[in-house]
Amino acid sequence: MLIPVFGFLKGDTIGLVVLVHDTDRIKDLAISLQEAAAVRVAPSEQVIVYAQGVSLDPELTIAQAGITALDRVDVVKVDA
Amino acid sequence: LLKRDDWLDLARELDWEFSYVSEREVFPEAVSGKPWLPGEQWRGWDEPYRTTYTEYVTTQSAKEASVHAVRAAVGGIEDFQKLDPSWINALKLHSAALPLAEFAAVIGNLRAARFGRDSAWRTMATFGALDEFRHTQIPLLIMHELLRWDAQFDWTHKFFHTDNWVAIAGRHLVDELLIASHPIEFSIATHFVFETGFTNLQFIGLSSMAHAVGDRMFETMIKSIQTDEARHAQIGYPVLAKLCAHDPERAQYLVDKWFWRSWLFFSIVTGFCMDYLTPLKQRTQSFREFVQEWVIDQFERSLTQFGLKRPWYWPQFLSALENYHHMVYASAYTYRATTWFNFSLPGPEERAWLKQKYPQSWPHYEAVWDRITARWQQSGPGVEWYTHGATPVTFCHLCQFVLCGGSPEHNTAQVVTHGDRKYVFCSEPCRWIFEREPERYAHHKDVVMRILTGEMPGNLMELLARFGLTRATWGKDVASGQYPWLAVTADEKH
Repeated sequence: MLIPVFGFLKGDTIGLVVLVHDTDRIKDLAISLQEAAAVRVAPSEQVIVYAQGVSLDPELTIAQAGITALDRVDVVKVDA
Repeated sequence: LLKRDDWLDLARELDWEFSYVSEREVFPEAVSGKPWLPGEQWRGWDEPYRTTYTEYVTTQSAKEASVHAVRAAVGGIEDFQKLDPSWINALKLHSAALPLAEFAAVIGNLRAARFGRDSAWRTMATFGALDEFRHTQIPLLIMHELLRWDAQFDWTHKFFHTDNWVAIAGRHLVDELLIASHPIEFSIATHFVFETGFTNLQFIGLSSMAHAVGDRMFETMIKSIQTDEARHAQIGYPVLAKLCAHDPERAQYLVDKWFWRSWLFFSIVTGFCMDYLTPLKQRTQSFREFVQEWVIDQFERSLTQFGLKRPWYWPQFLSALENYHHMVYASAYTYRATTWFNFSLPGPEERAWLKQKYPQSWPHYEAVWDRITARWQQSGPGVEWYTHGATPVTFCHLCQFVLCGGSPEHNTAQVVTHGDRKYVFCSEPCRWIFEREPERYAHHKDVVMRILTGEMPGNLMELLARFGLTRATWGKDVASGQYPWLAVTADEKH
C-alpha cells in the first residue's frame, strides 16, 4: 500500500510529501526524502530516521515501524 | 447655520428608534457580530478623522489627479524597463497579492456600512469601501499597461482567480478576514491589526524602497493608498475599545489570531520584497528592522492602551521574524516555476548583508544557498530545472502556506488528529487557531489533500498548468543563473 508521509530533513527549509510503500524499509524512506531535497541539501549515507521523537531501525519496514499515512518523519544526518 | 464640527456630529450620528421591527432584527447577531449589545452601548462611538462626504470627495479627487499626473509622466512601459529586474518582480508579487484583496475589503466595509452598530461607524465604513475600490482600480490600471511588456503582470488580476498554491493561501486569509467576518471581527482584524500594523510595513516601508530604486510610479501609488488606509484604519480603535469593555477575552483572542495570520502573509509578501527582491544598494533597512519599527513598537503601544497583553506566542513570533521569510524564500526559489514572478539568487554581497542583518539565524541558511549556487555552477546558466524541486511540498492546514515554520535546524510542523482525520500545521499558533474554531477550518482542503484525493494532479508539469501557469509566465531565476559573481567563482574553481 502506498503511504504519503510528511518528511523533514534536518538542514532543509521545507517539509516534503514522500510516497512510500508499507513494505519499503526505513532506509529507503531516508533515501527518497534526501533525493527529493537534494536541490537544497547534500545527501548523506549516514542518517537517522525519527518518528515521534524515537529513532527507527533502518531495516524495519514502514509497516513494522508503525508509520501510517500523513505521519511526520524526520531524517537527520549523523554528523548534523 | 451650524459650525462644521457641530453639523458633522449631527449628520453622521443619524440613529433612530425602530417602531415596527426590533433592534435585533435590524442588526442580527450573526451578521452584526458578537457580542451583541443594545444600541445605547454603542453611543459615543468616535474616531479622530471626522471627515464629511464633501471633504472626502474633494480630497480623493486631488489624490487621483496626483496619481494620474505621475502616471502620465513616469508610468509607461519604458519607465519600468529602466528599473532593476529584481525590483520588477517585487512589483509582480505586490500587484498580485494586494489589489484584489482590496476589492474583497470593499465587501467587508460595505457589510459594516450596513450592519455596523453605530451610524458614525457606518458612515466611515462607507468611505472605507470607496477607498478600497480605489485601491483595487489604481494598480489594475497601472499594471495593465505593463502587460504588453511582460505577461507575468497578468497575475495582477488573475492571481486570486486561480488555484495556484499562493492564491489558495491568500484566499483562505482574505475570504475569512474581509468577506466572511462580521463587522466587529472585520474591524478588529482588518482595521486594527492588518491595516494599522502590517499595511504600514508594506505601504510605507516599501514606498521608501521604491523611492530608493527610482520607481516614482509605485512610490506615488502606494503612498496615495496609504493615506486612505491611515484614515479608515481608525475605525478599529473605537470598535476594539467597545469589545474590550464588554468581552476582553474575545478581544484578546481576535487580536492574537489576526496578528499571527497577518504576520505570515506579510512576512512572505513584504519579506521577499525587502530582503531579496530590492537591489542591495537600495535597501534602506532589513525586513526585520522594518517590522521592529513599524509593527512591534506601535503594536505593543496599542495593546497597552487597550489593556491587552502581547499574544501568548510572542517568543515564537520573534523567532519567526528571524527565520520565516528566509525559510519560505529558499524553498520557493527551488519551486519558483509554481509562482508567477521571478526570483533573485542571493550572491556573496547579498548574503554578507543578510548575515549582518540576521546574525543569529542567517548562518543556518548558508549551506542551503551554497548548495543551490553549486548546482547552478554545475549546470551553467539557463538550466532552470537543475536548481528546481519536483516532489510535492507540504502545506499547513490553517494558513495554507508551505510548512516552513521554525528553522533549518528544527521545523516546527505538528501533526494532529482531529475527528477521523490528521491535520498538519506549520506552527503552534496555526494549530491553536485551528483548535479554537475547528468547525470553521476543518473542511478546507490544502494542495496536498487535493492531490491525494485526485482533485489536482501530482505531476509537477500538470500541476503548473492547474496553477494557471505556462512556460511564458511561470517563475524563473531573474538572471537565468547568469550572475557575474557566479561565473567568477566557477572560473576560480577551475
